[in-house]
Amino acid sequence: MKIVAVTACPTGIAHTYMAAEALERAAKSLGYSIKVETQGSIGIENKISQKEVNEADLVIFAADVAVKEESRFKDKTIYRVEAQKVIKNAKAVIEEAVNLLNNK
Amino acid sequence: MVIDENLIVLNLKSNRKEEVIRELAELAFNQGKVTSVNDYVKTVLEREKLFTTGVGNGIAIPHGKTDAVKESMMVFAKLEQQIEWESLDGKPVDLVFLLGVPEKDANDLHLQILSRISRKLIDDTFVDKLRKSQTKDEVIGILNSI
Repeated sequence: MKIVAVTACPTGIAHTYMAAEALERAAKSLGYSIKVETQGSIGIENKISQKEVNEADLVIFAADVAVKEESRFKDKTIYRVEAQKVIKNAKAVIEEAVNLLNNK
Repeated sequence: MVIDENLIVLNLKSNRKEEVIRELAELAFNQGKVTSVNDYVKTVLEREKLFTTGVGNGIAIPHGKTDAVKESMMVFAKLEQQIEWESLDGKPVDLVFLLGVPEKDANDLHLQILSRISRKLIDDTFVDKLRKSQTKDEVIGILNSI
């Protein structure tokens, strides 16, 4: 399972980065590979390339504001969730997204 | 520096969220990090209204991005008593990280440090160490270890 995810929040100081860390830890514990792009006050970091999007099995947006350059993901099904939900329980979010993907 | 011993409080007595934010903002003002306590607090409270900054595990990270902040900063406080913060996990808060960032911050390093601290708040061991710390030096040591 290859996951790519984008995190973003209104001020881009705290939740963006907490959500990213939470997703990375949860994916690791579930044995999935993940790349998380943060769109915060520092700008875009760990940017996901078009190639990585194409190769991804699952796309997660943990964002409370519009994701920048969303057109990269236009051919993908995107699992959208609030950043705070990821901070609360990233594992449950990933598991739910994977379930939806498998039942599609 | 983002982390400064004058911006650390080990036994804050306030028992209401708004009071905690105001008291810590005044500390930042006294250290010249914030130019107006009222403007800064207003921004932080507006941010709180969007949704809670009680991120669980007894931690709150109130924050504001406004020109009332001179340079990116963090005030850290351990509260004497746990207080209500409408946290994601419903638990009361005893560790508060008040963050401030100017509208336009030229200093990426400061933002990098704040983002790294935010990431570490997911780490239970890190949070546990902070909660057990007894002195400002200890707190600074833990925060600088990131």
